[in-house]
Amino acid sequence: MNPQAFLSTVELCRYYRRGPQTVRALDDVTMSVTKGEFLSVVGSSGSGKTTLLNLLAGLDTPTSGTVELAGTALATMSRRQLSAYRAHKVGMIFQSFNLISHYTALQNVETALYFNGTSPHERHRLAAEVLDRLGLADRTTHRPSDLSGGEQQRVAVARAIVKKPEILFADEPTGNLDFENAQQLADLLASLNRDGLTIVLVTHNLELAQQYTHRTIRMQYGHVIHTIATGSAETTQP
Amino acid sequence: MTLRDLIVISTGNLWRMKLRTFLTTSGVLIAIAAFVSMISFGAGNQERINNEFNKLGLFSTMQVYPRNRQVISDTASIAPLDENALKHFAEVPGVNIVYPYDAFSVTARLGDSVLSAKAQALPIAAVQTKLFSNLSAGVAFDSNSSRETIISDDFLKKAGMVVPDSAIGKKLVLSVHVSVIDSGLAHILVDRGQTILDRIKKIRLDSLVNKEYRMKVLHGEVNETIRRFLNGFVNAQSVVTDTLRVCGVRGPDRVGRMRIESIIIPASTAARFNSSGFSGNPADIFSALSSGTFFNRSDDNGGKTYSQVTIDFDPKVPYKGIRDSIEALGFRTFSFAAEFEQIQRAFLYLDLALGVIGLIALFTASLGIVNTMVMSITERRREIGVLKSLGADEVDIRWLFLVESGVIGVLGTVAGIFFGWTITRIVSAVAQAYMKNQGIPPMDLFALPVWLVLIALGVGVGVSVVAGFYPAARAARVDPVEALRND
Repeated sequence: MNPQAFLSTVELCRYYRRGPQTVRALDDVTMSVTKGEFLSVVGSSGSGKTTLLNLLAGLDTPTSGTVELAGTALATMSRRQLSAYRAHKVGMIFQSFNLISHYTALQNVETALYFNGTSPHERHRLAAEVLDRLGLADRTTHRPSDLSGGEQQRVAVARAIVKKPEILFADEPTGNLDFENAQQLADLLASLNRDGLTIVLVTHNLELAQQYTHRTIRMQYGHVIHTIATGSAETTQP
Repeated sequence: MTLRDLIVISTGNLWRMKLRTFLTTSGVLIAIAAFVSMISFGAGNQERINNEFNKLGLFSTMQVYPRNRQVISDTASIAPLDENALKHFAEVPGVNIVYPYDAFSVTARLGDSVLSAKAQALPIAAVQTKLFSNLSAGVAFDSNSSRETIISDDFLKKAGMVVPDSAIGKKLVLSVHVSVIDSGLAHILVDRGQTILDRIKKIRLDSLVNKEYRMKVLHGEVNETIRRFLNGFVNAQSVVTDTLRVCGVRGPDRVGRMRIESIIIPASTAARFNSSGFSGNPADIFSALSSGTFFNRSDDNGGKTYSQVTIDFDPKVPYKGIRDSIEALGFRTFSFAAEFEQIQRAFLYLDLALGVIGLIALFTASLGIVNTMVMSITERRREIGVLKSLGADEVDIRWLFLVESGVIGVLGTVAGIFFGWTITRIVSAVAQAYMKNQGIPPMDLFALPVWLVLIALGVGVGVSVVAGFYPAARAARVDPVEALRND
């Protein structure tokens, strides 16, 4: 295990029961993310990328193996500690944005601050500030249905970063965006990473991964098949 | 998440589903309205009786009677309810006033009306108790020897007067036909010109050896002696008349089990009437016979016994202590406070029965809440998943749904209390109009005391929150991975 790892997995497995069959969604995955790294996870559908992301975010529980955050195994945390981990340290964005449809953009961003003890006044100020920073100052009162796909995803990013997380998990964030919006989002993520935010990006788009991230993990059938250090031709085994 | 956040989010969610929220809240509203209106009927009657008892000071009034012969052994003697007993009652700690029920039949003339009525002698201290001091007109007499009287509304109506004030200052002429034992005894000696010696002379002394003749004479003479006594006692009455000034008019003749006679006269003034002998009313004679005072009447009340005595005691002293002391002296008691306890118990059962009906309606409404909340979970699975991904704990999600059902409960309950109160006001107005029409004094049948509002709030919100437990637990268990995968 990488001693400098901020987040790491050791022999991580996640199996599902589907009737009489056992589906090995993730099988014996060992990987690590260092502080400030922009890591991408690529692979075809069903390769286990999203399962890995859910396990790293503490949303799912592994069948075996461990996920460690700064040396502490998530498995040793109570349910409340895991919730606090997500509330304080983790930001998440999704392919389908997952904005709450009846909330305004501002309310959606504020929602991320409900669970980390931020005061109502501070919530409002921080949410407005981050929306302004992402160029959505004039969209604060708009509901998701009144926003374009790109704007919705920027609101989702705003919601993910408003709490100033230590790590951002992005699950196919460009999947529902056109090329131009995808590029803008990737630029935004790269900018956030340059500001020190650790990012794990799950994507189909190998080009995007290679262009923007420091390192790419390629997955297939629940296994990490190789890790590519972006910016060099060097390919290493996981 | 603060309670304020939970309330803001919950009300926002409910506002979004206006029709569903309205229908679900309406269920709670109707149930609470039924609960409140039914219980307020019991509360209204209870409050009315309580006020009436308080107004008349009945909580601090007790009546004492001699023990029934049936309930004590034949060999035991019945303690007489006489002046001696009254003195003992007055010595019981907490007792303020002791006065006997001392009434007699009179013929009363007020204006042009001549009526048969009953007059009750009362000491001034008794007249000043709450029981007698609530006058609809005038004032009470101010001394035991005052030549004034207080009459009842009913008596006034019978005399053809409607306005109580019009009777104040009027003269009331009271006449008592008095039967005296002495005149009965005198008629045994001489009746219709025939002396007892004339009767004896008619007896054939030599035939007394014949048993049949002897028995015939005996029966004949006993019957004749009784006839002569009664003829003298009943027919040879004297009339005692006095004129008093009406100084006050009071309410109805009956207060609970307590009878108050139509004419109240000061104790010393009344002595002139009832110490002279028996009134012509056979009931007085039977009363004297049954109480054993027939041959004991005298001016100084020595040996006189009463059928009933009233005790007025300090309201701060528990009635049970006084009751036990009096009963220990060998008497029966009747306490209005004890009766009120029984009434309260009856109202408690009534309230419980009515409350159960209301709770059944509320239980039905709670099923509506469960249904609404379960539907809400199905619709908001993804939202729950998002909230969990943002750091919401199961406890936060559970609270979110509990507060939502609680908000339904609060809205439904508050509106239900108001609606129930409105119903009671309408029914009360209709009932009072009907009572007025029927000549019954209008009274408010309903009351909405603070305790009922608090109970309704507690029950309404409580049942609604309990109804939210299952949906809340179900929402808390939503797997965020599954919920987010749905899309």
